[in-house]
Amino acid sequence: MDLNLIKKLIKILESSDVTDLEIEENGTRVKLAKKVRVTQAVSYTQAAAASPVTHQISESVSKAEDKKVVDEHAGMHEIKSPIVGTFYRAPAPDADSYVQVGDVVSAGSVLCIVEAMKLMNEIESDVSGKIVKIFVENGKPVEYNQPLFLVQIS
Amino acid sequence: MFNKILIANRGEIALRIIRTCKELGIKTVAVYSEADRDSLHVTFADEAVCIGPALGKDSYLKMPSIISAAQITGADAIHPGYGFLAENADFSEICQESGITFIGPSPEMIRAMGDKSFAKDTMKKNGVPVVPGSDGVVKDVAEAIKIAHEVGFPVIVKASAGGGGKGMRIVWEEKDFDNAFQTAQAEAEAAFSNSDVYIEKYLENPRHVEFQIMGDKFGNVFHYGERDCSVQRRHQKLIEESPSPALDEVLRTKMGDAAVLGAKSVNYLGAGTIEFLLDKHKNFYFMEMNTRIQVEHPVTETVYSVDLIRQQILAASGQKADTPPQVPFGHSIEFRINAEDPEHNFRPSPGKITSLNFPGGFGVRVDSHIYQSYSIPPHYDSLIAKLIVWGRTRERALARGKRALEEFVVEGIKTTIPFHLKVLQDPRFISGHFDTGFLDKFNSDK
Repeated sequence: MDLNLIKKLIKILESSDVTDLEIEENGTRVKLAKKVRVTQAVSYTQAAAASPVTHQISESVSKAEDKKVVDEHAGMHEIKSPIVGTFYRAPAPDADSYVQVGDVVSAGSVLCIVEAMKLMNEIESDVSGKIVKIFVENGKPVEYNQPLFLVQIS
Repeated sequence: MFNKILIANRGEIALRIIRTCKELGIKTVAVYSEADRDSLHVTFADEAVCIGPALGKDSYLKMPSIISAAQITGADAIHPGYGFLAENADFSEICQESGITFIGPSPEMIRAMGDKSFAKDTMKKNGVPVVPGSDGVVKDVAEAIKIAHEVGFPVIVKASAGGGGKGMRIVWEEKDFDNAFQTAQAEAEAAFSNSDVYIEKYLENPRHVEFQIMGDKFGNVFHYGERDCSVQRRHQKLIEESPSPALDEVLRTKMGDAAVLGAKSVNYLGAGTIEFLLDKHKNFYFMEMNTRIQVEHPVTETVYSVDLIRQQILAASGQKADTPPQVPFGHSIEFRINAEDPEHNFRPSPGKITSLNFPGGFGVRVDSHIYQSYSIPPHYDSLIAKLIVWGRTRERALARGKRALEEFVVEGIKTTIPFHLKVLQDPRFISGHFDTGFLDKFNSDK
């Protein structure tokens, strides 16, 4: 992959409706993503093993994006479950909850556990701010991208 | 009997499975990717769990998400449908380990039949005719050439771990062997991480005739006749029918017995299909065994009056099949309706369906997940509907097929409906005398 090719790809991406483009060739992977409104991100990573040429074009989910835009506008951010499983507020049944409404958290702090296939997955906050709302009750099942917490970004 | 079944699939087959579950009084759980939020199988299941983003690998192929979904909903069985994880031995194993019944064969069975060379060996040892060729994997070109001279050119070099037309090379003459052998190995390595290849006699334009097998936990195995799936484009079936115009009672018995023998030899459980190649001289050869329910199962259901999904569920829950096969009645044909543009080399045509009318009337069945104003997502295969017709004779089934296709209105996207209508006018197809080479000739004749 050479720089000229990447420049060409960026130009193509700019002028089209495609928002994500990932190309893998001879052990090198290039991923381009066009953010909905303004920014363009280019990341360049080396894949470990040689693999055949594959092209992937994915389209963003407009509904989720719309909702997110509204929330982001008000400075509110939804933390969503990245996996399917059971939601737990605390690391153990008799332990204190990780967070309560009103708590201030930083990016990377553990907010809850989602248990899947007997594995306890710690879910971290991706932003810093104040917990405004907790959407799910302790012990309830959650699906992929289900909103768990509402955080007011500080 | 199961209390709740999770359907690890999407589209028309997910809906198909939900329908039978409902009739059996079994609760259903649908799983869906974000792109399938508005899909019909989600609406008609009792519960639904979103398992990931659009891409198959992040959703329908993601085993932890599916198992987790089964655990949080309390499903006691998973039906994998076809494609996706249906023939994934690891998934069958993980279900077992998680205490969930996988409605399909054991991981050992899937591994055994998934190894094409091993499957062929097993069948051969049990007296099922196989395509003449090597005895298992061939190590070098010299050995391959020796075998080619024994069985006669042309031969085909095939990947042992393969499928879908990859890792295959036809060799017409000895001088082409070096190159063909090496490229087949390389392609097999790249596609399946396994460069093992074997050699078979290449049958020119055979018919593809497969037998529907059903096995239960009591060791009973029987067949529900055959399906002729010779109308294929790039190894993808487009039209299937039962019975096969090429079989008479004698041949059906011979092939059926061979299919049952083959399935019994591996103690097969559940629904499976044994694929044969039939040459011009009515010789048949085992090609492979598929350890899942197939897309074209409705034509068998129609002529044998059997709900195959129901039989699958009964078998998986340890019960006997309650609809044993009888003599086939009449003739059934299935037309796969894909969201593809036949005028432009069948390129995919996703988009919103603005106007829809399903055909109806006597002898017409439509298996489909589409509805008016539904947007077909671009991430998955292009099958949007199966039109299955029945007639007392093949001639009447053809007439009904034509009538039904003419009533089938889908606007907003391109479909293969016009293509099927053209095939129905072709004298070769009408006569019933066609083979796997038919569609290529048909497409190049235009």
